[in-house]
Amino acid sequence: MNNYMNWIYLAIVAGVISLGVALYLYFWVIKQDPGTERAKEVASWIKEGSNAYLVKLYRALGILAVLIGAIIAIVFSIQPETAGGGAVTLHFKDGLIMSLAFIAGAISSAISGYLGMRVAVEANVRTATAANFSLSRAFKLSFNAGAVLGLAMVGMAVIGMSLILLWTGTAEAVLGFSFGASMLALLAKAGGGIYTKTADIAADLVGKVEVGIPEDDPRNPAVVADNVGDNVGDVAGMGADIFDSYVASAVAVMLLGASMGLSQAEHIKYTVVPLILCMLGIIASLIGVSLVRVKEGQKPGPALNRGTVVTCIIFAIFLLFFVRFTDVNPGIFWAAVTGLVTGVIIGFTSDYFTNDTRKPVRETARVSTSGSAINIITGFSYGLISIVPSVIGIAAATLISYYVAESFGLSGIYGIGISAVGMLSISGMIVSADAYGPIVDNARGIAEMAGMDHEVIVRADELDSAGNTAKAITKGFSISAAALTVIALFAAYAEVVQAAGVSISISLREPIVVAGVFLGAMTPPLFSALLMLSVTHNAFDMIEEVRRQFREEPGILAGTHKPDYERCVSLAAEGALSSLILPAFLAVGLPLVVGFLLGPNALGGFLGGAIFTGVIFALLMSNAGGLWDNAKKFIETGKFGGPGSDAHKAAVVGDTVGDPFKDTAGPSLNTLITVMSLVASLFAPIIAVFHLFG
Amino acid sequence: MAIYLYLSLLPEALIASMLCPEEFGTYYAVGSAKKSRGQAMFFEVDPDFRDPYFRVEEAYARCIPHEDGSLKASVYVSVYRVLEHMDFDVLKHLYLTTMDGRTLELSPSNQIPNEVEQLHLYQEIVPVSPLVVSRLGPLAFIDTIVRNPVSLVTLPAIVFTELQLGELADDPEMGLMENLPYSNRDHLRQCLSDVKTKYAATKMVDRVHSPNIYYRTIKNGFFVGNQKQLRYFPMPSQEEIRTNNYRWFRSANM
Repeated sequence: MNNYMNWIYLAIVAGVISLGVALYLYFWVIKQDPGTERAKEVASWIKEGSNAYLVKLYRALGILAVLIGAIIAIVFSIQPETAGGGAVTLHFKDGLIMSLAFIAGAISSAISGYLGMRVAVEANVRTATAANFSLSRAFKLSFNAGAVLGLAMVGMAVIGMSLILLWTGTAEAVLGFSFGASMLALLAKAGGGIYTKTADIAADLVGKVEVGIPEDDPRNPAVVADNVGDNVGDVAGMGADIFDSYVASAVAVMLLGASMGLSQAEHIKYTVVPLILCMLGIIASLIGVSLVRVKEGQKPGPALNRGTVVTCIIFAIFLLFFVRFTDVNPGIFWAAVTGLVTGVIIGFTSDYFTNDTRKPVRETARVSTSGSAINIITGFSYGLISIVPSVIGIAAATLISYYVAESFGLSGIYGIGISAVGMLSISGMIVSADAYGPIVDNARGIAEMAGMDHEVIVRADELDSAGNTAKAITKGFSISAAALTVIALFAAYAEVVQAAGVSISISLREPIVVAGVFLGAMTPPLFSALLMLSVTHNAFDMIEEVRRQFREEPGILAGTHKPDYERCVSLAAEGALSSLILPAFLAVGLPLVVGFLLGPNALGGFLGGAIFTGVIFALLMSNAGGLWDNAKKFIETGKFGGPGSDAHKAAVVGDTVGDPFKDTAGPSLNTLITVMSLVASLFAPIIAVFHLFG
Repeated sequence: MAIYLYLSLLPEALIASMLCPEEFGTYYAVGSAKKSRGQAMFFEVDPDFRDPYFRVEEAYARCIPHEDGSLKASVYVSVYRVLEHMDFDVLKHLYLTTMDGRTLELSPSNQIPNEVEQLHLYQEIVPVSPLVVSRLGPLAFIDTIVRNPVSLVTLPAIVFTELQLGELADDPEMGLMENLPYSNRDHLRQCLSDVKTKYAATKMVDRVHSPNIYYRTIKNGFFVGNQKQLRYFPMPSQEEIRTNNYRWFRSANM
């Protein structure tokens, strides 16, 4: 089938099937037994809290999306008459298309995040109830619920991109779609991250440390907010995050494909190829998801990993057939496989640094016997070392995919983009495995709060530990994919500027580029600091609230009086939302300020600086945070004195430091660099013409 | 309305209360904003117990419901030097309350653990609370500290528990300290080595050790002894507690 426009229809069909399976699984989950009245009551607190937060978040983001959409409509209606500048003409239709694409991206991202969260809050109580019967039943339920998010997300993304491409015929409009998705993802991820860690830290520091009540105890006023945080941060936020990387990688390749200077037919072919890869990835993910099963007595962790590996193999086979039986350049196969293999390797090396059977976690646990300072220094150092294999992997994937593509006569930079798409094409499976984690975590909390039998909690613990491993792998995967994506977007940015008739030179010998690099390099650390300060500020307020409740109503601890959960839920939500203003400005405003003020070359330098420090900080924070967490858990198995020992106290400090690292700042950074790259690419034609210096 | 009599170990006090043991434990640990919080250990005492040293009747007379109908939680009969005036036959059950107010009941047993030739770690609870290592088993330890007529330093009565030492019980120098949340680990090893190799049979590890105990570290149970009497309250195994008292198990961070 060499008429490549027809492939778009097939991609839409694959997207619809994926969405259909997601809906089928959603209704299957809903039909399962929600358990006892007490379990349903506890689950309803979490559901109401999650819905309340998402309504507030999406209302705020809706206003923001309309506002940015209007700005985009105005800005993109004004176009220079000649390349390189001069008089301007008005093209309202172009502005409107871009604006609608942006809003469609934001809505699609919101829908997939909402759907994921919606199923998560229904699945948690049903998983806990299923765990009453068997581990395999509980696993099937929670994994299928995770698959709702994974499959809905890729389905929505492919349908959205395909429809816009069919409607407009240009990759630039899909860029608007991607920007909308990324903008929403950034705020959903950062807001969810602030929310979840605010509640988690407050619940732990007052509940566990000061008062001595166990995890997930219903007497803790922050316990519902903590469980809500798992949903809004780890499900809705993460769903939006991967959605954005998935779309951005495809868009980058589409833009590069559109600018390869080929014949019209070739031009269409290489614009459509990323969508075909996404389509093949969807089919592979559907098969992979259906193969993930755990029999009674088996461990859930290997089943999840097996699912990921099998999906990769199926995808590679599909891709081989696609390349073999069409006239597409075979370099695409090798570039995509490079990305796929690198993604898996980076995912598993991330696991090395956060797995308690390996040296980094054990060493960090061991030195905790000498206090929290040594714990933090050791964990931080291993976090820094953990950057090495991932960066080498990203560098290797960049070089291999570049030269492989070149050796087959394809643009090298297009090959890099394809490797990112290859890596993310199996997102359906990756997200399914990842979303399973917070669902079982919540199920455990509900089992605890509803006073279920301890066997249920033992099973939930086993399911939960598998979820943590899947989470570590996904983080490595998403960061490395984002790195390759932004490299491709960076190239796309240069192409867009040149297409506007302005030559671009990003050389470190030019002071304006160096200034841009420094400003860009500064942004991820600054962004991280703002998010983490938001966590500490909001956690401080919530700690005071939890203390106040315990102080003023002794019946809470005695178990005779219900805590005011809503107050903590509301505090966390308000704190998270109000903390997003400055980070949002940094992501969208700063590239524009640099671009309009210092020009396209400085903006190129800015992107370069932001990409490099962004990737490094994201890896450091995610891995160090996971490492501290697991060092604490390792000590809790009885090692080095076990719970309550001096080593444990030190490890708890390390884990608390690591919490906002791994769940707030770290995972938001890849979205930050994607958003900044998209803003730059989107506004590149205008910045190329209108800038003050440079 | 029933009135209970409790012998609290933290602090040492005889208390009359209208609350049943579980409610009293919760009240004592977390139930009042005015009280300090923390672990509680107390015996339920036969309410008919009388001794000229304690003004029990007077306390019972004051142990009546509040004006709002709520039960009187505590009337202190006596504090300080309570244990030495107790008859241990009136001790019914021992209750261990966690920091967040969950209570576990321990029943007395006549099956006192056999003396094993290894090192021991004792947490004294009442009347003083040092942490002590010893070559002596629990019975010999009571003999030495309560019943030894030649020693200058004896106690009139004692409540203590033996804590786990794991591999350190046989090999203080090289043994692993798994699941033993003790502070100052090197000093503990040194003290154990000293009692193993030197003349002294017991050695103080910590003079005023916090009597707050990680319940999971209790090796066998609680010993209550004086010149004439000895009572033993065995601690169930972790598996038994997990199965029968899961809430307490979680709360005690077992």
